[in-house]
Amino acid sequence: MKKERFRQITPNIWEIPVDFKQGMLVPARILTSETLVDGIDERVIDQITNVACLPGIKKYALCMPDGHSGYGFPIGGVAAFSLRDGVISPGGIGFDINCGMRLLRTNLIFDELKPKMEELLNKLFSTIPSGVGSSGFVELNRKEFNELMERGAEWCLTNGYATSADLEHIENRGRLEPADHTAVSEKSISRGINQMGTLGSGNHYLEVEIATPENIYDRETAKVFGIDRDYQVILAIHCGSRGFGHQIATDYLQIFDKCAKKYGLTVRDRELMSAPAKSEEGERYFRAMACAANAAFANRQLIVSGIRRVLKDVFKKSDEELGIETIYDVAHNIAKIEKYEIDGHMEELLIHRKGATRSFGPGRPEIPLKYQSVGQPVIVGGSMETGSALLCGTKKADEESFGSTLHGAGRTMSRMQAKRMIRGDAVKQRMKESGILVKTGYMPGLAEEAAFAYKDIDDVIEAVDAIGISRRVARFYPVMNIKG
Amino acid sequence: MPFELTDLHTSADIGLVATGKNRFELFNDAAIGLTSIMVDIDGLMENRERPVSLRGENFEDLFFQWLSEIIFIKDAERFLMKRAEINFEKEGQAALQGRLFGDSIDPKRHILKTDVKAVTFYKFRVEKMGEIWKAEVVFDL
Repeated sequence: MKKERFRQITPNIWEIPVDFKQGMLVPARILTSETLVDGIDERVIDQITNVACLPGIKKYALCMPDGHSGYGFPIGGVAAFSLRDGVISPGGIGFDINCGMRLLRTNLIFDELKPKMEELLNKLFSTIPSGVGSSGFVELNRKEFNELMERGAEWCLTNGYATSADLEHIENRGRLEPADHTAVSEKSISRGINQMGTLGSGNHYLEVEIATPENIYDRETAKVFGIDRDYQVILAIHCGSRGFGHQIATDYLQIFDKCAKKYGLTVRDRELMSAPAKSEEGERYFRAMACAANAAFANRQLIVSGIRRVLKDVFKKSDEELGIETIYDVAHNIAKIEKYEIDGHMEELLIHRKGATRSFGPGRPEIPLKYQSVGQPVIVGGSMETGSALLCGTKKADEESFGSTLHGAGRTMSRMQAKRMIRGDAVKQRMKESGILVKTGYMPGLAEEAAFAYKDIDDVIEAVDAIGISRRVARFYPVMNIKG
Repeated sequence: MPFELTDLHTSADIGLVATGKNRFELFNDAAIGLTSIMVDIDGLMENRERPVSLRGENFEDLFFQWLSEIIFIKDAERFLMKRAEINFEKEGQAALQGRLFGDSIDPKRHILKTDVKAVTFYKFRVEKMGEIWKAEVVFDL
């Protein structure tokens, strides 16, 4: 009966007022449906109201419908800070800086894939490294890695791992400014230099999915995004900046912890340790974070180049015949400077998105020309058993959620609890019976990612669609999953 | 049990509670607990060793750095720690040095589990309760 403690602003927006907790500077808002609101974890309420206490926060601390408990910010958390007197917080971005999603379209249809399923699964698994401590296929020296972290996906284009069309369809064209390799520690470089082109583990994956005609909700927009044939084969990639980004966040969390006293900053949760956005430490972290974001854009691009090689080999078709094109690539763990209306004036703010996706609507200059009429593609990762979804951004997101929306289904239970309920081999069998092939280096990990450990993806999508912060376009059915 | 994995504080990540009769036991058990999230520890050999030397601002900070170091060498050196021989500087000094013993990551020989990305400050606690040292930590997965 949580909803009685909230003030209902609209049917799908629930507010926690500033008197809920001492130190709150703005209200917290949970964006979710009446059905899902009672299921919100108490820890999410504690975490989002802690965010509302951070200096310089504007309007509201927001939690998306897929929100679940993490550390510092809840996962699904969005907050905007003044550049003048606000903060930057690694706990509001996550250790996996620019963890994100890439969606690829192809000219292939399911009937062409069916006889090649096993071969494709095995070749993708052997080509795209995954799991603990995996190394990528690209060998980089320090100079090359410095270039990669400052230029992101652009580095991939220069070195033959990307097409110019790929770059057009990546958030920020795959290069976030002001990346500066001198803001990055030697330890971060050592951790990340051999990991470019790898998936990682946990909930990271590479999935082959089918666009079935009954799950295309907006055919015109889907066509603009390249979903233009029945039973089309789609590929989804979910991963981030690997050990490189994890170490950058670790380094700066400790730096911020030590300089908090100097800036008179206190936080309710030490994981929210921050620095003033305009301080030397804060600006340096922003430059290092941009390096990690670029490494993540490059990482996903390198995986795409591996996928292209495998598909050419398996289907014996040319690039033109296969038509593998990037629909879009989105970051869902990031901080960015964007302009929003505050008290009647447009103001540059530092937007933190932790487990939340940018959702820019039609006409925004930041999105590709091709998508100007419909808005930015928003890629929502589901569980291995349910597949992902494609939405599009809206103007309403600017007003309600600092141009943000959900990023996934959102966990309903811990990994440990899921493993107590089912074995990994049982999940594999169940998926096989549903026509989904899965390959992983660690079978019990499949239990952690079982569908029942997540909210129903259709419910969370329905919530954002109803609020209007993004619009439903299509759902894809999974047929093959490589779990990291 | 010298360490226990827990989901008490988080649904997305994992917690660890470690105890020890002394500082060495606490550090060693917590590190083994951390490694056990990433790999079946029984399958690790002790065919590699490396020195370790860390200094913190205080004991809690040293513990944070210790666990972060185990994660760092897993990625940077593909080294999975199985056992530590470490000495602390005298009481009141937050520093340690010694050697780590373990194995190189090998998917053919090891049951690799879930990667640990980082040590978080969320619910992070190290304390001496009577004669027992106890630490609580949440790892980002």
